[in-house]
Amino acid sequence: MVAAFDPLSPTQASSSSSTKDKSTFRTLTRERQFRHPPPNLSDVPALDELVKPHLESFNALIEDEGLEGGKGLLQLGVEDIGEKVVFDGKGEGLGTKISYRITKVALGKPLVPEKDKHARERKIFPSEARERLTTYRSRLTVGIQYTVTDPSGESTQYEEIKECGLLPVMVRSMRCNLQNLPATELIKHGEESTSFGGYFIVNGNEKIIRYLILPRRHNPLNIYRPSFAKRGASYTPYGCQIRCVRPDQSACTNTIHYLSNGGATLRFAWRKVEYMIPLMLILKALVNASDKEVFEGLIQGEYDNTFLTDRVELLLRGQKTWGLHTGEQCLNYLGEKFRVVLNCPEDWDDRMVGHFLLHKVVLVHLPNPRDKFRMLIFMLRKLYSLVSGATCADNPDSPQHHEVLLPGFLYGMIIKERFDDCLGAVKAQIQLDLRQNKAKSFSDPKYFSSVLTKTNWDIGSKLSYFIATGNLVSPTGLDLQQTSGYTIVAEKLNFYRYLSHFRCIHRGAFFAELKTTTVRKLLPESWGFLCPVHTPDGSPCGLLNHLSHTCKIVTSALDTSQIPALLSAHGMTQVFASSIDGRRMVCVQLDGRVIGYASPQKSKQLANLLRRLKTEGNAKVPLDVEIGYVPVTKGGQYPGLYLFSDRSRMMRPVTYLENGKTDHLGTFEQVYMDVAITKQEIEKGVSTHVELDPTSMLSVIANLTPFSDFNQSPRNMYQCQMGKQSMGTPSTALNKRTDNKMYRLQSGQTPVVRPDLHNHYGFDNFPNGMNAIVAVISYTGYDMEDAMILNKSAHERGFGYGTVYKSDIFDLKDAPGAGRSTKPTLHFGLGRDVRDDSDARNFVSSDGLPIVGTRIKSGDPICSYTDDTTGRTKFHKYKGDEVAFIDEVRLLGSDAGDAELQKIHIKLRIPRSPVIGDKFSSRHGQKGVCSQKFPAIDMPFSESGMQPDVIINPHAFPSRMTIGMFVESLAGKAGALHGIAQDATPFKFSDADRPVDYFGEQLRAAGYNYYGNEPMYSGITGEEFHADIYLGLVYYQRLRHMVNDKFQVRTTGPVDPLTRQPVKGRKRAGGIRFGEMERDALIAHGTSFLLQDRLMNCSDYSTAWVCRNCGSLVSLGFEEVSGEGMKEYCRICDGHGHAESSPVGAGAKKEKGVGVVMKGGEKKGSMDVVAVPYVFRYLCAEMACMGIRLNVTVT
Amino acid sequence: MSQQNRYTQQNPNPMPDRNIPKPPDTIEYICGDCGAKTAMKPSELIRCRECGHRVMYKPRTTRIVQFEAR
Repeated sequence: MVAAFDPLSPTQASSSSSTKDKSTFRTLTRERQFRHPPPNLSDVPALDELVKPHLESFNALIEDEGLEGGKGLLQLGVEDIGEKVVFDGKGEGLGTKISYRITKVALGKPLVPEKDKHARERKIFPSEARERLTTYRSRLTVGIQYTVTDPSGESTQYEEIKECGLLPVMVRSMRCNLQNLPATELIKHGEESTSFGGYFIVNGNEKIIRYLILPRRHNPLNIYRPSFAKRGASYTPYGCQIRCVRPDQSACTNTIHYLSNGGATLRFAWRKVEYMIPLMLILKALVNASDKEVFEGLIQGEYDNTFLTDRVELLLRGQKTWGLHTGEQCLNYLGEKFRVVLNCPEDWDDRMVGHFLLHKVVLVHLPNPRDKFRMLIFMLRKLYSLVSGATCADNPDSPQHHEVLLPGFLYGMIIKERFDDCLGAVKAQIQLDLRQNKAKSFSDPKYFSSVLTKTNWDIGSKLSYFIATGNLVSPTGLDLQQTSGYTIVAEKLNFYRYLSHFRCIHRGAFFAELKTTTVRKLLPESWGFLCPVHTPDGSPCGLLNHLSHTCKIVTSALDTSQIPALLSAHGMTQVFASSIDGRRMVCVQLDGRVIGYASPQKSKQLANLLRRLKTEGNAKVPLDVEIGYVPVTKGGQYPGLYLFSDRSRMMRPVTYLENGKTDHLGTFEQVYMDVAITKQEIEKGVSTHVELDPTSMLSVIANLTPFSDFNQSPRNMYQCQMGKQSMGTPSTALNKRTDNKMYRLQSGQTPVVRPDLHNHYGFDNFPNGMNAIVAVISYTGYDMEDAMILNKSAHERGFGYGTVYKSDIFDLKDAPGAGRSTKPTLHFGLGRDVRDDSDARNFVSSDGLPIVGTRIKSGDPICSYTDDTTGRTKFHKYKGDEVAFIDEVRLLGSDAGDAELQKIHIKLRIPRSPVIGDKFSSRHGQKGVCSQKFPAIDMPFSESGMQPDVIINPHAFPSRMTIGMFVESLAGKAGALHGIAQDATPFKFSDADRPVDYFGEQLRAAGYNYYGNEPMYSGITGEEFHADIYLGLVYYQRLRHMVNDKFQVRTTGPVDPLTRQPVKGRKRAGGIRFGEMERDALIAHGTSFLLQDRLMNCSDYSTAWVCRNCGSLVSLGFEEVSGEGMKEYCRICDGHGHAESSPVGAGAKKEKGVGVVMKGGEKKGSMDVVAVPYVFRYLCAEMACMGIRLNVTVT
Repeated sequence: MSQQNRYTQQNPNPMPDRNIPKPPDTIEYICGDCGAKTAMKPSELIRCRECGHRVMYKPRTTRIVQFEAR
């Protein structure tokens, strides 16, 4: 058979000119892309760019293209952990020593276990993990090297490989089998053509470790915080804080506190416990500094600055009280105090422990003690300038001082800590053996191996837990402020939502509880990095932000080794210069290391030089280096030239005006740059940069709002929310998805009016709404209060038709009757006890699985299983209350393909055509509820016979001021008439070039009214309306909030067994609480019958016997009356004398007998029936239990 | 023509005879990776015979699925 001729095929290159895409909708281009996805690159490269920080940070764990000799962060981490040492204490001294360390870490790619001999494809792809609801993970192994040294000093070295379980792996990272696969291959492996990865798959769920905002690393921050003063006697609110990061990206924060007695202490946390050490002690211990050295370093020639000299004098004098004069003494002192805390090897002397402390906690980013000393001196000087008021406190909420916690780095930190825990557990195990005298000889190599097998090395499962729950279990806290909420589910509700998960950035759970709103403020410093529009309203407002679409995050270490030499060649004074004048010179720092000093003018020149070099692509200065020149100001930020080249910084591209080249700006330097937004805005001599585009400050989603510059800003925020809630196209590989719930819009269209970025980011692959003809008219009143009228014919043509896919996962392991044993006792299937004509056979076939394609109602069986022990067949029933169809049935095997069927995944399809009460919205925050589906004959029509699909009320506009919607309507109408896609990029029009004129001309050319109004006729009377109606085309989204998921109504139904009041909750067919305030309203209205009805008759109405004499509700007794049956009496009044004289237990029988005698003569007892709420009876009973009598007066 | 004969002529698709043995309890499933069909009995391992893949799909029923269209 000859293949059908395909004019779009890439092989038909000769005819490509004839199939050139003339349509502004790119119809042919898109079709070509759909039919022939690119065989060598990804479908939409721009999308890959958006999630790059996720992937690159994960890749950095394994192999680093940066400087550290190609070592991954995991490798650096285990090197930082170093060696652990145990002694057996036998023989003289400490005895035989075992020292052990992890030498190398290896992470594989996900593969089928070796047990499985049958699998032809040995790789596991993410789609399998999703389908089988398992975790996408691969083997983690470490090499452990241990050395046994006996007391005589003889040592032998051994090596061992240890399995660390299966570690969840990021999809499309370097350890994923999809890495760098082109679109065609992705489709072959069950992915979408645009799959960009960046997430983990745990138990079939796609999970993302989300970005968190952290204090910028290696950036000393002056902080004024009143709570500092509460830390102890003589503490003040002043402090200088720096967050230091080791090469393996784990962090440690140091804070210098200013004390009112002139001293300063350094605060750090070790295993979540905070310690404060006098700063002088550390300065001396670091470099054996003399008092003069410290004095000169701090004063820097400002001998006449008495504020400074006074404080330095106090600082130095304060040190004298300790009696520690030399660096050696200080080290010994520190070592002695911290020996127990640090858990150092026993054979270390105090000096080594002291060194270890300084290495592990003090300015951990600087390996050299001299560098640490200089930086501490700098921080103290900065702190003094804050106290004196010469400079201001830095704002810790400003993005200038922020960086991003990247998923891969956090993952690496956790893995490193788990390694440390495991090594600690080995030590604990050996010590336990020694205590119990179970330990064999250390020199036996088998002993250490046996200890290794005894300890738990399953790091993979711990990381799976972390990703599945987002909870951080950590003994050190990792220098982070929260213990939970690190991961989120990447919901594939629609593409907008999915994509924004990867771009969202959270301020931290700690700040969510804060009462003050300062952290939520939108600061000018965030311009261009965080989208000002795209943040939710409500509790996470301002805390959960989204990166602008041009914002990048640096993930690789840059080569900056040439910069210090370059700067000193251009006139920077080197650090070791003998005298530095602190009044004339400012500090030059590179990644938190003092590299020199220069005068402010010189610094500015140096900054300009560096910027020129980096934009010109000089190899010595990488483009992503941040050059923060802080000028000398009065009471402003502490001046200096601060260079940042490390990772995790937010950067964005702009044009550098001096040479017209692209420059990358960071958050720190941007504050001191002057970035013009448009070319017209450039001011000669002032502006340094110009934006690439005015829209680069907006996030991807905010950019997709058409003409957003014409809208009132909150409306754009609402649209960012609603775009993420609309029913759209969740995925293009729907048949491979196993999400719990998916919303799909069947009749999605590409918008006629869309910004340019819509094409750039490939949103045509994922339609999110429909183009609707919208008339703005108040018609019949069914469009009041944000309701909208839907044209019934439009609905019948498929407007807004959607589907909900739900997953029903049935695992026989969890089914009732499942045994504990490894061999399953339950099997899918229909047993012999199900008759041939049984109703269940309409839904379930003989294999026990549902028949694909059947319609099911609530309570219908969807699968059946037989129990080996009882031999009976049981059914699993459909619980939902809507009609659904069996769409797919998946039989899920085990990891190695060696298990029989125990778990199935059923995908149910629930059709959801739009009904009255469903929510719709335009792209301008104009949401409304469908109030009526009007028959086409009743709809108003225009002169050309057009009927609107949607009618909305004009009152939706005046207060909301969504002019963008008017413009979209106009543009859409013109676009539809001419058959062109309209560019709706914001900031394209101006007062001189108005959109009304532009689109008005287009409309006029098509023979329509310039302003978009049209005369219309009533569909009911056929008369022309007095006013012309604004009729145009607007893109409408159908939101996922549908009445079918929400309605709650009941007359009677389940009640609470204790109170007999209706239960709550929609799921349980409960009622809606008629609360106190509602009660108040009814009282105020005087509608007492309604009140009675709500609170009594429709709730816990009950009747009770009450004694007219004593008023008790709990004293009902029955007696037998011959011929009449039972008769009731009051056990308090009528059995009085006898009950009192006899004890209760014995009296019960007697009382009854006596009662009969006493009441025999009476016709009618003292008991009456009253209607009371049942809870009141319950209250009486409870009160009676406590010996409290409740009386009711019966009149 | 006998009564019986005429009856069969009128109905070209009579009900299947109850005495015809039922088809065996194997249903063919579709492999999630290579798309090959594998007949599996209950209590058989979930694995494609062709490629060893561990996810199988149940094929759509061959019964006529018809619902009242309203």
